Amino acid sequence: MIVASVGNVLVWAVWIVAAFACLASGAAVVSFSNPFYSALALIGNLGSLAVLYLLLSAEFVAAAQVLVYAGAVMVMFLFVIAYIGPRIESPWAGGPGWQAVGAVLAAGALLVEIVVVIGLKASGHLAHSEHVGAAFGSPAEIGRLFLTDHLLAFEITSIVLLVAAIGGVVLGAHSRRPAGEVPPL
Amino acid sequence: MIGPGVAWYLAVAGFLFGTGSLGVLLRRNPLIVLLSLEIMLNGANLALIGFARNLGDGSGQIFALAVMAVAASEVVVGLGLIVALNRKRVTLDVDRLNTLRG
Amino acid sequence: MVWGAWICLLSPLVAAGLITLGGTRLSRHATGYVATLSCFVAFGGALAAFIGLLGRDGSQRQLVSTAWWWVTGGSYRSGLEVMIDPLSVFMMLIVSGVGALIVGYSIGYMDGDREERRYFAYMSLFVFSMLLLVQGGNLLLLLAGWGMVGLSSYLLIGFWHDRPSAIAAAKKAFVMNAVGDATMVLAFFLLIKKGNSLEFGILGGQYSSAVANLVALGLLGGAIAKSAQLPLQTWLPDAMEGPTPVSALIHAATMVTAGVYLIVRTHAIFEQAPKVADLAAGLGAATLLLAGLIALVQVDIKRVIAYSTMSQIGYMFLGAGLGSYANGMFHLMTHAFFKALLFMAAGIVIHALAAEQDMRKMGGLRALMPRTYWAFLIGALALVGIPPFAGFFSKDSILAAAMDHGAYGYVLWVVGLAGTFLTGLYTFRMLFLVFWGEPSAFVREHFHALRRDVVGVSMASTVGVLAVLSAVGGWLQFAPLWHPVETWLQTVAEPVVSPTSWQEAVSSALAFALGLGGIAVAWLVYGARRVAVPRFAFAQRTLEQKFYFDEAYQALFYAPAVFLARFLRRGVEQPLIADTGRDLADDTRDLGGLVARAQTGLLRTYALAIASSVAVLAVVFVAVK
Repeated sequence: MIVASVGNVLVWAVWIVAAFACLASGAAVVSFSNPFYSALALIGNLGSLAVLYLLLSAEFVAAAQVLVYAGAVMVMFLFVIAYIGPRIESPWAGGPGWQAVGAVLAAGALLVEIVVVIGLKASGHLAHSEHVGAAFGSPAEIGRLFLTDHLLAFEITSIVLLVAAIGGVVLGAHSRRPAGEVPPL
Repeated sequence: MIGPGVAWYLAVAGFLFGTGSLGVLLRRNPLIVLLSLEIMLNGANLALIGFARNLGDGSGQIFALAVMAVAASEVVVGLGLIVALNRKRVTLDVDRLNTLRG
Repeated sequence: MVWGAWICLLSPLVAAGLITLGGTRLSRHATGYVATLSCFVAFGGALAAFIGLLGRDGSQRQLVSTAWWWVTGGSYRSGLEVMIDPLSVFMMLIVSGVGALIVGYSIGYMDGDREERRYFAYMSLFVFSMLLLVQGGNLLLLLAGWGMVGLSSYLLIGFWHDRPSAIAAAKKAFVMNAVGDATMVLAFFLLIKKGNSLEFGILGGQYSSAVANLVALGLLGGAIAKSAQLPLQTWLPDAMEGPTPVSALIHAATMVTAGVYLIVRTHAIFEQAPKVADLAAGLGAATLLLAGLIALVQVDIKRVIAYSTMSQIGYMFLGAGLGSYANGMFHLMTHAFFKALLFMAAGIVIHALAAEQDMRKMGGLRALMPRTYWAFLIGALALVGIPPFAGFFSKDSILAAAMDHGAYGYVLWVVGLAGTFLTGLYTFRMLFLVFWGEPSAFVREHFHALRRDVVGVSMASTVGVLAVLSAVGGWLQFAPLWHPVETWLQTVAEPVVSPTSWQEAVSSALAFALGLGGIAVAWLVYGARRVAVPRFAFAQRTLEQKFYFDEAYQALFYAPAVFLARFLRRGVEQPLIADTGRDLADDTRDLGGLVARAQTGLLRTYALAIASSVAVLAVVFVAVK
């Protein structure tokens, strides 16, 4: 599995750093009591994920991750957290309740299963990787796929975004009229 | 493929998913819950990209982009809800939001 | 001739339908005319059938006309058939003729009643049902007619439905008739099982003695319920709650005689079960004695006549049970004449006294209503059996027939003779109480003569016709000399007994003497008031309570039924059914509440549930793969 070469070692090193950052920031998101810090940790998570995507030859997806996810979605999150104001809660106060125990058990069970599956069952299938060309994760390839094989998914996704936008507007609409007055159309 | 095999990426994705679900189940602030949900989605995305690379099929990346778009929409709606709740001066604690109980 | 029979059957039904559908479009009087006309048309049809049969030879006098096949199942068939034979034509003439006269009388009697239209519709329905009964070509149609006359009787007894006593009497009549219907139906089931058909012919087939006895018993049960004989006789006196023409038609002339008709029609099976026939004769004899005794203490004029009817039908049962079928039917005919006459004359009296029926308040009406008095007298003499009036010829033949039946027959003969004495006594007690003596205070206050318009004419003319028939109708058959009735009915029902002429003569002489004796005693006590009315307290009470039959039935049947019903309600229905329903509802609601507790409304609970399920499913999926 480990092929000794300079490129290989470099890739491994980058991988280890990125994976560690990813997991650490994930744990940080879940543990901080200040939501602002959690949001910042998520930004770090997204960045390390982008690095992992690059290692997987998915260049366009990595760029999209940074631009859209980290750049737009997380900024919006930060706006809202700033708007709502500081809510410092103490999530880990008191001993673990039955809910916490159950949650840990469920998550732990899932994790164990995933590891088992990856380690035991699917290792045979996962050992061999396809050889991919240079154009594998390029924008041209993604565009071509979107407009030919997955056109329907493309269109439906755009509709979902539209619906979300409408939903956002509706949820944010101010109702300043006093009760009893009919709102104008 | 140089570097770690797909299995390593999948393991990371699995851990991310587990961490995210712990966050969803254990935190009381709905904002944090949403953030944890994002981590779960990202874990799934990583698994998708990994398989795309493994099988040489670009559809995995398309799927990941679609997941990203849907995650963005869901965050919009979720944050809208939280802002509306805040405007109504409701406590932002999921353990107190139980008026939909049967 | 066949069409004559169909016209006879359907004409009253058409009238009933017209009156019902006409509603208020027909004036009240018009409905009376429609009903009467339909009965006269029916009589015409019967006459046509009669003449048609006359033209035929004796052996050829049985025609069955089928409208269509009504019930077919396997090898069993029943049709809508009309039977035209001497017996049915005989009954058709009586029913439609006397019926027409009585319905005509009702035009006057029921004048002014608010619900006259309903009355005439019911009367037409009754005439139709009775004709269906006598014309039915098989036992199934006879049963249909049987049930419908029971229904019409119920409707007419309870005609004045704002009177609780009338409603109760109607229900009593119907329920007791239903007992008889049930036994009849059981007999029919047996017949279908053994003979696979309900045509009249199968009654002549060979049956084991057990089957024959059971069938005959079932038929007898129906007959005694319908004809108000012991032990099912308690409904007839109460049935006097209905209007007087109803009593005349249904409870004197026609419906109550249906039992006799049934026995004569099914005589073949009774001949195969001689013990049951003897039972029928015995019950008839017992009834005639019992009814005669009770009639002695009645104060309601209609009840005296009702008990007299019960008693006379006892005579008919005696005749039919002994096998003297033609004489039984002949007595049925003469009885129809003079009993209807008595009821109708009594109706005129009641009408004149503003609906008063208590004889103790009457008296001295002879001078005030002479023609009614003469009609009543003719009827009374015919009833007692004084020649030359009708009852003499028919009743004495029955008594003579009893002498030809061995020792048991002689016992019945003695009872019948005793009944003749009682008949004379109670009939003339009634006549003397109502018509003789000085007009009582009540009479002087309330009497008003019959009007001279349609009302009066309808009542007077019909009574007059019946008076003539009661006077001369008996001359149709004078046993020793000429007997056309017997010859006429011979092809249908051959008599089993044939008394000799000297037996006839002895019977007639004794009956005549005893009848006169009864009249004499009545005259002594009530007419000339020479002797005081004897008072025996115990006997008086027993007779007034009708031998305590009502009380016995109340204790034997009604009280246990009520007790059982109450027990079932308290012990079975309430806990098992009502409470179970309520408990079921409560438990379901509690269960629902329990399940609803899973809806906590908390996000984290739901998320935990999802996560756990996914974990489990993943394990299952991986294990299966």
